[in-house]
Amino acid sequence: MNRNLLRFLAGRVVGMVLVLFATSFVVFSAVHLAPGDPVTFLMRGRPITPESRAVLTAQYHLDQPFLKQYFLWLGDVLSGDFGRSVQFHQDISTMITDKLPTTLFLVVYAMVIIAVLGLALGILSALRPGLIDKIVLVWTGMAVAIPSYIAAIVLLSIFSVKLGWFPIYGAGEGFSDMLWHLTLPAFALALMFAGLLARVTRASMLDELSREHVEVARARGVPEGQVIRKHVLRNALGPIVTVVGTMVASMLVATSIVETAFSVQGVGSLLIKSVTAKDFPVVQAVTLLVVAVFMIANLIVDLLQPLIDPRVALGGDQK
Amino acid sequence: MADTTKSTTKKKNSVPATRAADSATPLLALDDVTLRLPDGAAARPILDGVSLRVERGETIGLVGESGSGKSVACRTVLGLLPKNARTTGEVRVEGTDVLTAGPAGLRDLRRNKVSMVFQDPRASVNPMRRVGDFLTEGLRLGGMSKKDALARAEELLTEVGIRDPKGALRRFPHEFSGGMLQRVVIAAALTSDPALLLADEPTTALDVTTQAEVVGILRRLQATHGTGMLFVTHDLELAAAICDRIYVMYAGRIVESRPAAELFARPRHPYTAALLASTPRLEEGAEPPTAISGRPVSLAEAPTGCAFADRCAFAVDRCRTEKPALVEDGTGAAACLRVEEGILA
Ligand SMILES: Nc1ncnc2c1ncn2[C@@H]1O[C@H](COP(=O)(O)OP(=O)(O)OP(=O)(O)O)[C@@H](O)[C@H]1O
Ligand SMILES: [Mg+2]
Repeated sequence: MNRNLLRFLAGRVVGMVLVLFATSFVVFSAVHLAPGDPVTFLMRGRPITPESRAVLTAQYHLDQPFLKQYFLWLGDVLSGDFGRSVQFHQDISTMITDKLPTTLFLVVYAMVIIAVLGLALGILSALRPGLIDKIVLVWTGMAVAIPSYIAAIVLLSIFSVKLGWFPIYGAGEGFSDMLWHLTLPAFALALMFAGLLARVTRASMLDELSREHVEVARARGVPEGQVIRKHVLRNALGPIVTVVGTMVASMLVATSIVETAFSVQGVGSLLIKSVTAKDFPVVQAVTLLVVAVFMIANLIVDLLQPLIDPRVALGGDQK
Repeated sequence: MADTTKSTTKKKNSVPATRAADSATPLLALDDVTLRLPDGAAARPILDGVSLRVERGETIGLVGESGSGKSVACRTVLGLLPKNARTTGEVRVEGTDVLTAGPAGLRDLRRNKVSMVFQDPRASVNPMRRVGDFLTEGLRLGGMSKKDALARAEELLTEVGIRDPKGALRRFPHEFSGGMLQRVVIAAALTSDPALLLADEPTTALDVTTQAEVVGILRRLQATHGTGMLFVTHDLELAAAICDRIYVMYAGRIVESRPAAELFARPRHPYTAALLASTPRLEEGAEPPTAISGRPVSLAEAPTGCAFADRCAFAVDRCRTEKPALVEDGTGAAACLRVEEGILA
């Protein structure tokens, strides 16, 4: 078992490194695939002074051959140096590490809402077919169709503008203040994903509810609550964990919309600003970050699956 | 939780007394049990006037083709009714009616008095939990400590012939073969030392040699624990080999009941005879099996008279309109209008 685990982990880490390698190559060469002089591309629309040209040439090693440029850039990236923002003239690593806590707070907050809301509604609608089931289906249908920026605008206009319960912008300082500031953004971010999770939970629970071993447990006099917890919900966890895992990276991307709508200074709003300003080095850094998060989340999901279902071998094959 | 512990302790002290004193009340008695399911406007009948008895320590067979209602009858004994089912009649276990029992009564019944072994062991055990969890679940509900429950489970695994029972407790269901897993299921059914075991085709999902072993284990344990058993099967020959008495069911009704040897030697109902003729025999010079013509009908689609009439070689006009009652004869009972005429002789 332990040897299997080690071999599996080694394989996955090698795979992750390869994917990150490929991603970094694509991300890097995009600058060079764009037509025209890379410096003009990197400075998009801003006046190019001889100094800025010199800085960019040095930073991107533009005087070197292409592949050499790439490896030099990769070396910098691996040592944590993503270069400087063209727009803000700041070190990108510092910018991201400054903004990351806010975004992480927002994502974790939204995750808690998603887990509580999504699981509760999914379980309820599986166990109580009828009104709750219909409400969840309609809501999840809407939630999946309504993008987070609409949710953000609606939440803002009701709870901030009309009722004045929550601040209109900013992330706040300190835990309780952040909690207060980020409540609406977290809900705006969470609603769609919670709908998705509720649907997956419902489907998975219904699937398990019809199993014969559930009937056997009832036939042995196991109380219904315990049947639901230890047999139905317990067995339904696989798809739930998988969908939560895939959500993490999507949420990171979705923070860009929500953070922008609520003027929260996080990694997400930084991404939007950089894309609109063609601040390419920042886009590169955030892209690599999202890909890394995506792969780590997937790895964690794959490690959890055999713990949930003993028939699943590491790597996802069914025995 | 409190009433659980109370009921177990009560059971522990009073069981031998009850078993001795109430020897007059049958272990299991179904009296004129009818079960209907709502199907659109008209209710669809599944069981119709089923009466059946199992005495302490006895093995009773329940045979019939697919869809005749054998499983539904078994589940009814545990109070596991399909949603929206409507029942009439009485199902009494040690004198207590199941159909009118409250949640506490049902819990006591299922935990302490009656256990059921289902057809497919693969489907009846939660694949994601350890075999030990499965075996001890019932004992733990009764308030037993984890350690004691595991010790008891280990004992039972030894009894059903599982090698390395201690290791087996730590393993998962998919690590067992079908036959071994059915042994585990049987062990689990016996953890509560039930007075009645419902075995719903416990060997159908297994291969032939394993079938014989599992039946052997069931018989042995039943004898040592003094458990009454209702054994459901398609296989008349198997039923005849192990049962004291057999009930033959067709389309939700009991059509014949008789001591096993007698039923096998001299069936009175044409359906039983057809069922026997369709069972391959092992002895020399036996006739080759002949399949029953037509397909089994459900009670809902059966004619108003005898449900078997359309497939019966002896049917006359009145069989289709007049419902035959189950009439007692010397050794048992048969529900056939022409039984007196000696049509099968
Ligand atoms: N939960 C249920 N809901 C609706 N109909 C049911 C339900 N359970 C059983 N039935 C119906 O009741 C009838 C009897 O089914 P049952 O499973 O008792 O047959 P059986 O004799 O056990 O057959 P088999 O030998 O195939 O197991 C069938 O017509 C079946 O469709
Ligand atoms: Mg059945």
